[in-house]
Amino acid sequence: MMNYIWGAMLITGIVFSLITGKTSDFTDGLMSSCTDAVQFIITLAGIMAVWSGLMKIAEESGLIAKISNIMKPLMHYLFPFEKNDRTIAMMIMSFMANIFGAGNSATIFSLKAMELLDEENGRSQYASNEMCMFIALTMSMIQLVPVTVIKLRSDLGSSSPEDIIVPSIIAGLISMLVSIWICKFFERNKTNV
Amino acid sequence: MSDILGIFSILFLPLLITLIILYGIIKKAPVYDIFIDGAKDGLKTCIDILPFIIGIFIAIEALTTSGAMDFIQKLSRPLFDFLGIPEELISLILLRPVSGSGSLVVAEKIMQEVGPDSFAGRAASVMVGSCETIFYVLALYFSVTSVKKMRHAFAAGLAGYIAGIFASVYICRFI
Repeated sequence: MMNYIWGAMLITGIVFSLITGKTSDFTDGLMSSCTDAVQFIITLAGIMAVWSGLMKIAEESGLIAKISNIMKPLMHYLFPFEKNDRTIAMMIMSFMANIFGAGNSATIFSLKAMELLDEENGRSQYASNEMCMFIALTMSMIQLVPVTVIKLRSDLGSSSPEDIIVPSIIAGLISMLVSIWICKFFERNKTNV
Repeated sequence: MSDILGIFSILFLPLLITLIILYGIIKKAPVYDIFIDGAKDGLKTCIDILPFIIGIFIAIEALTTSGAMDFIQKLSRPLFDFLGIPEELISLILLRPVSGSGSLVVAEKIMQEVGPDSFAGRAASVMVGSCETIFYVLALYFSVTSVKKMRHAFAAGLAGYIAGIFASVYICRFI
């Protein structure tokens, strides 16, 4: 799937740059985006190291097992076959970080959760139901206070920058319900798309 | 209400860190040694995902700088018109799934043009606040696994995204 999407994006870009005569823009963009990617990782590296370190403390001290035990009933509906404490805890951390608007930290918890899910899935080529559900949830997870947008709005002279909080949460919940429903639908029908 | 939520958001990370470290010390774990050990793993993960990030970044750049995005935008205008979505939002809707920072710039542009408190301005804000960068997330998350077939993860993400877009527009229309 990713092979086709990625290939199509690049080739479409090249064809269009030839048609629109923006070939030099295209080349410049390509070069600068590589640098951007590396820069992005450098920004991420520090916070990644910090959270991996802290999570390891939480893991070895038994805190993670504890948190996951408390939240287990809630996660049971979404992940009926998930038994591993570490995975459950990592998913919960990722959701919490998302909800509280700590985007980069959420990414790190999610990546860790995906690694664990991959192990449990026997490093199979096919994504497990748990992986799909987890990704669907993180993608649609609500954020209590979308700080960046609110800041942006007040910078641009909005009279009530916070007005969008409740609509954002409602829209987020709707999107989340749809994602969960789709996952449950495919799980029941056991199809491999 | 929003003040209380804001305080929660600000306090979440400091409280979490305090909890982790205090619990570790109470359980007599060598917190500093473990921290360093874990930090090493974190940096390794960073190196592992770098190739994927580069791949995603150049593909997105290819679509935006070549003018392909503008073309798709023009092409899809009647469809969005039919669905009752203001045309100012089209570029945001198309860019949001692939690029978080890019879509933020677009949202800023929209709000500058039509005002942050207008219908389109609010809808744009809600979209940024509630809709995720789905393609980017899919590519990044599966990059640490051995998965080649992502099964219904794509469908679930896309459906959730579309639902979020419609919800954003229609909620802003009625509130």
